[in-house]
Amino acid sequence: MQKYIKLFWLLFTVYPFVISAQDNADFYFQKGNEYYMEENYPEAVRQYESVLNIGYESPELYFNLGNAYYKSGQLGKAILNYERALKKKPQDKNIQFNLKLANLRVKDRIEVPPEFFLFRWNRKIVQLLSTRNWAWFVAALFFLASVLTSIFVVGEINRFKRQLKIAAITLFFCAGLIMMPLIQRYQMEKSRAYGVVLSSHSKSLAAPQEGSTELFIVHEGTKVRILDTDGDWSKIELIDGKQGWILSLDLGII
Amino acid sequence: MKKVLKYTLLMILVTLQISQAKDIKISAYVDRNTIDLDDTITFTVKIDGTGNLPDVPPPESDGFVVISGPSQSSSIQIINGKITAFKTVQWQLAPTRSGAQEIKPITIKFRRKRYKTPAIHVTVNDRQKSSKSSRSGNVPAPQTVSPRPRQNNKNNVFLKTRVSKKTLYKGEELIVSFDLYYQNVRTYAPQKLPDAKGFWTEQFPENRNPPIETVVVDGIAYKKATIRRLALFPTITGELLIDPMIINCEIVVPRQRRRSVFDDFFDDSFFTDPLLGSTKVVEVQSDPVTINVIDLPVQGKPDEFSGGVGSFSIESSIDTLQIKQDQALTLRYKISGSGNINGIKLPTPQFPTNVEVFEPKIERLVNNKGKSIRGSVSCEYVIIPRSSGQLHIPALTLNYFDPNRKRYQSKSAPGFNVSVQPNEQSSIARSAGFRKEEISLLGTDIRFIMRESPKWQKIGSTVFNQLWFWMLNVISLSIIGASLAFRWWMDKLENNSMFARRRRALSKTTASLKALESEMGAGKYETVCDRLDRILTGFIADKIGLPVSGVGAKEISTALSDKKIDPTIIKSVETVLKELEQYRFLPGDPEKQKIRKLVGRVNDLVAQLNKVL
Repeated sequence: MQKYIKLFWLLFTVYPFVISAQDNADFYFQKGNEYYMEENYPEAVRQYESVLNIGYESPELYFNLGNAYYKSGQLGKAILNYERALKKKPQDKNIQFNLKLANLRVKDRIEVPPEFFLFRWNRKIVQLLSTRNWAWFVAALFFLASVLTSIFVVGEINRFKRQLKIAAITLFFCAGLIMMPLIQRYQMEKSRAYGVVLSSHSKSLAAPQEGSTELFIVHEGTKVRILDTDGDWSKIELIDGKQGWILSLDLGII
Repeated sequence: MKKVLKYTLLMILVTLQISQAKDIKISAYVDRNTIDLDDTITFTVKIDGTGNLPDVPPPESDGFVVISGPSQSSSIQIINGKITAFKTVQWQLAPTRSGAQEIKPITIKFRRKRYKTPAIHVTVNDRQKSSKSSRSGNVPAPQTVSPRPRQNNKNNVFLKTRVSKKTLYKGEELIVSFDLYYQNVRTYAPQKLPDAKGFWTEQFPENRNPPIETVVVDGIAYKKATIRRLALFPTITGELLIDPMIINCEIVVPRQRRRSVFDDFFDDSFFTDPLLGSTKVVEVQSDPVTINVIDLPVQGKPDEFSGGVGSFSIESSIDTLQIKQDQALTLRYKISGSGNINGIKLPTPQFPTNVEVFEPKIERLVNNKGKSIRGSVSCEYVIIPRSSGQLHIPALTLNYFDPNRKRYQSKSAPGFNVSVQPNEQSSIARSAGFRKEEISLLGTDIRFIMRESPKWQKIGSTVFNQLWFWMLNVISLSIIGASLAFRWWMDKLENNSMFARRRRALSKTTASLKALESEMGAGKYETVCDRLDRILTGFIADKIGLPVSGVGAKEISTALSDKKIDPTIIKSVETVLKELEQYRFLPGDPEKQKIRKLVGRVNDLVAQLNKVL
């Protein structure tokens, strides 16, 4: 009996340290997947949210969470999570597809004004990689350039000296150039400038106080730009440029 | 065969006879139930029936005598083959004494059945008293105290509230009828309909010409007509009051006539026609009625209770079972029956997730033409399947309470299986202003979840606070730094001979000393002292930067003292160089032992000098 009690205590005290936080995240994630496959979507949502609660995230998690919300009919939260997933992984076809599909169900169909082609190209390039990958890219180029430079400086190679020099300079230049999308992408990921309307419909007022003139109504799932906050209110801008104040509670920040 | 036919025909005839020989209805009444002693009353027996009607025996009473009669009238009507007949027999009775008198029941035997009329009570007032009172103040004769306080007995008209139930469930139907009992009312007009707080009220259509029947109340014949019917559905529980209904009646008042010999002559139906009398308007009020409403039983109450109390049925229909994707489909549910049709909440069908469901169109129809309130609730859903395949619409169950059986009932409308064919062109999509590429998306379902455990990131962490990123950059920088430093070093060695000599002095010296020692090991001692001298002077020259050749001991010691070297070291350098000079110019082989010692001292000196120079 004494032995068992000891064993029990050992398990009790050691076990939590054996399972790392990441394993916990995996556990909840897989549990959520199981519930999703059993079509128990509210429970799947709960499990996926647990991963976020213990402090971990990933585009896959946001994608699955978005799916679970979509299936349980919460369009706003589904779109919010797809947007969050896409923010982390802008080139993922699955995320793009599901977001597109979810957006078809949004009541507000705002025509997006065409973007200036240079901005569009720039955005496409910036979105090509995540901050992490851009950072990898810059660091790798810098490293390669350094190695080439050291070979050029140290080595007594007379044959390829010129080519080496050109290659090293080019690499340095590239690394510097790629710093730009890296910084842009970083700002994009860090920014809390966009939100998704979560309530089924939300009145947009002219001033941040109850009873002021109603300008327009936004519906669940509409993506808006957050320009300013004042107490419980957020100033939003729609894609077509309309601006108004809505309750911050009705918004989910991407 | 003929015989059989004959008997069958006979049987049919007999049954027809029997079916025609229905029961009779017999009633007896008087025209007034309060008279004076010198007055007479008319006692009437009326028999309703079909075909032959029985004879009526004369009335028996201790307080009355028959002064005339019987006068008999009868009538037979055949409408659509249905025979209705009635017969009235009348006697004029005169009281023999004052007080409460009784006319005994009349018993009639007809077709082996006995029919009995109720006894009739008549109050006979004393003539002297009444004449005295009339003389004293012309006060009208006192009326009999009526059991109904509200009835307008003086005018022989009253309104009675009839309820179908006294105790009922919440939501159950209560039929309230207002019956007008009258003798000579020409018209009536409703003044105020009853207020029924706590009820949902549904009115039956008003019948301007209600069927009139004759009933006897307390021995007096009244005409009875149901003037208004209401259906009430209690919405709260407890004791609920149905307020009185008030109507105005126009009553025909007979002409005041002197009693004369012509009375009998004028006492004819022609002369007593109500049209010839004057009229007056009286207000008639019904009695308030209290109803006890109890709540529905908790036991067995289903979770999805529709709120319906009564008897209902539910049916479902669908316009098609084969449809193309993104085309609209109409699903109808219809609840019909009797009961609180307006209180029914339709259960919500559980639609699959891949269909779009629009707000249902709900239509309620209440039919108040019948005996009780009937009606239907129709609910029309427009649904659009968003993906192809089999679409299953589950059965819908309606739970209601049946007050007659006193328990909850459930009825189900069947579900449907609709086969949905894929469709490239979507009609809905076109109308909703979607673009062409979006239309193709409409029919599809979302992509499935990602099942592989991902690489987790701490929320809020970025590459800029991760170690590997900075490590890699530091490594890159240090590679460049190191290579540049190396290059600089090499360049200095190549271009600056003084620097190069100093840098290489020690390694050169130790290498030379080693070579010397190996030569000494091989037994070659001839040039040892000369070489040793050169090694030491060369080392010091390299270190200090003196010319390579032509450096004497004197220059060395002055250069060393210029460098502020420890004088003991300078001294030992000088002695070593002096000794070496001596050995160089000494004839013959020097002592091996001493030379070895010198090599050791040079070694030590080189080490010492390397430290300070």
